[in-house]
Amino acid sequence: MTDQTEPAPSAEGAYTRFCAVTELPPESKKAVRIGSHWILVCHTEGRYYAVSNICSHATRPLMMGRVRHCTITCPVHGARFNLESGAALNLPATKPIATYPVRIVDDWIEVML
Amino acid sequence: MSVKTEEVIKLKDLPKGDARCPGAPSTQDIIAADTVKAPGWVCSESYQFLGDEDIPTDRYTDPAYAKRELDTLWKKTWQFACREEHIAEVGDYYVYDLGHYSFIITRVAENEIRAYYNACLHRGTKLRASGTDGNAEEFKCSFHGWSWNLDGTHKSTTCDWDFPHVDSKKFSLPQARVARLGGFVFINMDPVAPSLEDYLGPEALSHIKAWKLEDRYVYLHVSKRIPANWKLTIEAFMEAYHVIETHPQVAPSNGDANSQYDIYGEHVDRFISTLGVVSPHLYGQVSEQDILNQFTLGDSSALGDTKFTLKDGGTARSVMAEMFRSMFEKATNTDLSKVSDSELLDCFSYTVFPNTFLFPGISLPMVYRFRPDRHDHRKCLYEVLFLRPVPVDGKRPVPAMPIHLEDHQSFTEAAGMDPGFGAILDQDTENLILQQEGVEASAKKGLTLGNYQEIRVRHFNRALDKYVGKSSG
Repeated sequence: MTDQTEPAPSAEGAYTRFCAVTELPPESKKAVRIGSHWILVCHTEGRYYAVSNICSHATRPLMMGRVRHCTITCPVHGARFNLESGAALNLPATKPIATYPVRIVDDWIEVML
Repeated sequence: MSVKTEEVIKLKDLPKGDARCPGAPSTQDIIAADTVKAPGWVCSESYQFLGDEDIPTDRYTDPAYAKRELDTLWKKTWQFACREEHIAEVGDYYVYDLGHYSFIITRVAENEIRAYYNACLHRGTKLRASGTDGNAEEFKCSFHGWSWNLDGTHKSTTCDWDFPHVDSKKFSLPQARVARLGGFVFINMDPVAPSLEDYLGPEALSHIKAWKLEDRYVYLHVSKRIPANWKLTIEAFMEAYHVIETHPQVAPSNGDANSQYDIYGEHVDRFISTLGVVSPHLYGQVSEQDILNQFTLGDSSALGDTKFTLKDGGTARSVMAEMFRSMFEKATNTDLSKVSDSELLDCFSYTVFPNTFLFPGISLPMVYRFRPDRHDHRKCLYEVLFLRPVPVDGKRPVPAMPIHLEDHQSFTEAAGMDPGFGAILDQDTENLILQQEGVEASAKKGLTLGNYQEIRVRHFNRALDKYVGKSSG
């Protein structure tokens, strides 16, 4: 579980390298700032999910939240989000978080901004 | 089933509660003939006649009675809140609700679990939403940000300069009592209630400890709102007497009318309903191969599409035990070599008053929980959890996420639910709708119970009378 800042902003609408595959083993997650985006990638149950690292309820980081069953729970107030759709699943959140397409290319995890 | 006249006369002369299904082997007779012998907790009986007066029906229909339950029964009894595996790590929490009551069940240290009343001590906001779980380093209110440490002590007050009258040392989160048994976390709001061990009593406690349910995990969790009072719903699962009429598809492979019923103290009762044997109602109509073909399991996933055939001289029950043992071991990476045929096949249904059923068998490995709907006493929330042995490599899977069915959905629609088992639950639900309406429509204001097969219903109602009283008046 790490948080890094990517120095060079990347173009919107294009896939951008997030981190090396080796940096994100199964059942781990990592947050990286890319330009104006703060992206959290979760590697869980054999899949990668890229979502906004900012909770839609009180704008706190989700990075320390528990990931289980394709959801992440905000550690601050307990809001939970579906990692695939971004949908808010329970109070106190009612609005979704952003999700990003994610792919693996040449041992790199890439996300589309 | 045909019964000779002289046998009926003899049965009628027996003391009340002593009659058993005529012409059929007892549950203990069936189990004694098994290849792999059953342990002591299976091979014992503990029936007691508890009277034969009607059960008043206003307890199922009167909102005042439901309200009194909240002030008495639910505040004083031990309730299953969650499994330990739901809160495996320090900081994990699970919100358990009963009516308007709500608790945060959380692991505050590796071997310590607490239950906090789920409300901010500032202006009352729930610290975590109902029906949720997660992990936290603190419990912070989403309204003004007051926070509490995992151990319940008050951590911070936003703008504490404005609250000189708040003594932080006196602002710890109030707690309910917690007890752990067999991987289950129980809570009790009553500070002077007996311990969970005393509440269960020594014999029931020894049974539960023998099962080692702490070595299982939740692999399927399904919930659905049932349109009937929670007590009517619970009672529908307390006897096998209804099998022949409600679940006729099960009867060819279920010793329903010769099931065994036992009570233990005030709060625990059980039945043992043998499988792989024909119902006494169908004697002479069903072959051993028919029994095999109709076998219904709660967890049949390990069997795939396998069809079983009888060996020469074998019984359906012995074939099923042998095959199920080997296939289930392989499919789930578990060791069942020392598990008896009875534990593998039979339906062991235990009730821990007020609202939890434990089924320690392997083929029918469920936990049921029933809770009143907080907005409508004529409805309740029914949950079924299926438990599987933890794999022999010791790696415990994450407990399954609950699947919440809509009112109109069939239990068979829940992903992972055995179709045959889901169909049985649907049949029970259909009856309950009619029973709730019928109890309200009836000119007769009492339920009449069988002395033996419905003893668990009577036992449950005796405990209810103790905590709530006999009627709503």
